[in-house]
Amino acid sequence: IAIGDLYDAMAGHDDSGASEKKASDFDIPTFSNENMQSNMKVIYYSRTFMSIIGGVIAGILGFTGLMGFIFYFLVMAITSIGLTAKAGFSIHSYFDSWNRIILDGFLGGLLSFVLFWTFAYDIVHIF
Amino acid sequence: MAVGFAVGVLGVLILSHAAYSTIQYRTLLKITEEEFSGPPINVVFELLLGLVLCMWAALAVPGKFQSIQLDSDENRVVALPSNLDFMIFNHRGKAFPLECTLKLK
Repeated sequence: IAIGDLYDAMAGHDDSGASEKKASDFDIPTFSNENMQSNMKVIYYSRTFMSIIGGVIAGILGFTGLMGFIFYFLVMAITSIGLTAKAGFSIHSYFDSWNRIILDGFLGGLLSFVLFWTFAYDIVHIF
Repeated sequence: MAVGFAVGVLGVLILSHAAYSTIQYRTLLKITEEEFSGPPINVVFELLLGLVLCMWAALAVPGKFQSIQLDSDENRVVALPSNLDFMIFNHRGKAFPLECTLKLK
């Protein structure tokens, strides 16, 4: 009796499954996750290094206040353009969306930038 | 990779030379008691050159981008991981219907 119930349940569910197969799309986008993460690491290293260099330059130039933060966003924008050029402008073969290369990690280097900005400003202008 | 590293080191050296020039410029300004409005123009050019070199090093040193498409040429050969507890396979199981409400009574 239990086996009969199981057959009926399977038959019923096959019908509903078949109708659902026509309705929904089973094409889940898949990509190689480890390559994706290694690409994200590359972006992170590049952005961190450019934040530090941008901080040193802002300190040498003597920026104070808002000008420094504008300079930081300028350096990050130039880094984004550089990363896009490195990926050969065909983002979809290296990342899954544009946000990864443009927005991700944008504010992550801000604290390093401020640290080296203060450091360089102190060395060059105060001592 | 080594070329990118050398370019980065050169960029950092140029930046430190620009910092030293600015320090000397400031001591000169302190002697003549003028205000510091900006570093001299050759220091600005040096900073720009240092920025370009460091940007080049920042893009070249961390490594190349690897393709994430599963059917690209560099993703063809996949080695089986030595850790037998966690393996990832791509198979056609995703073509099965997702809903499964079968219950064993």
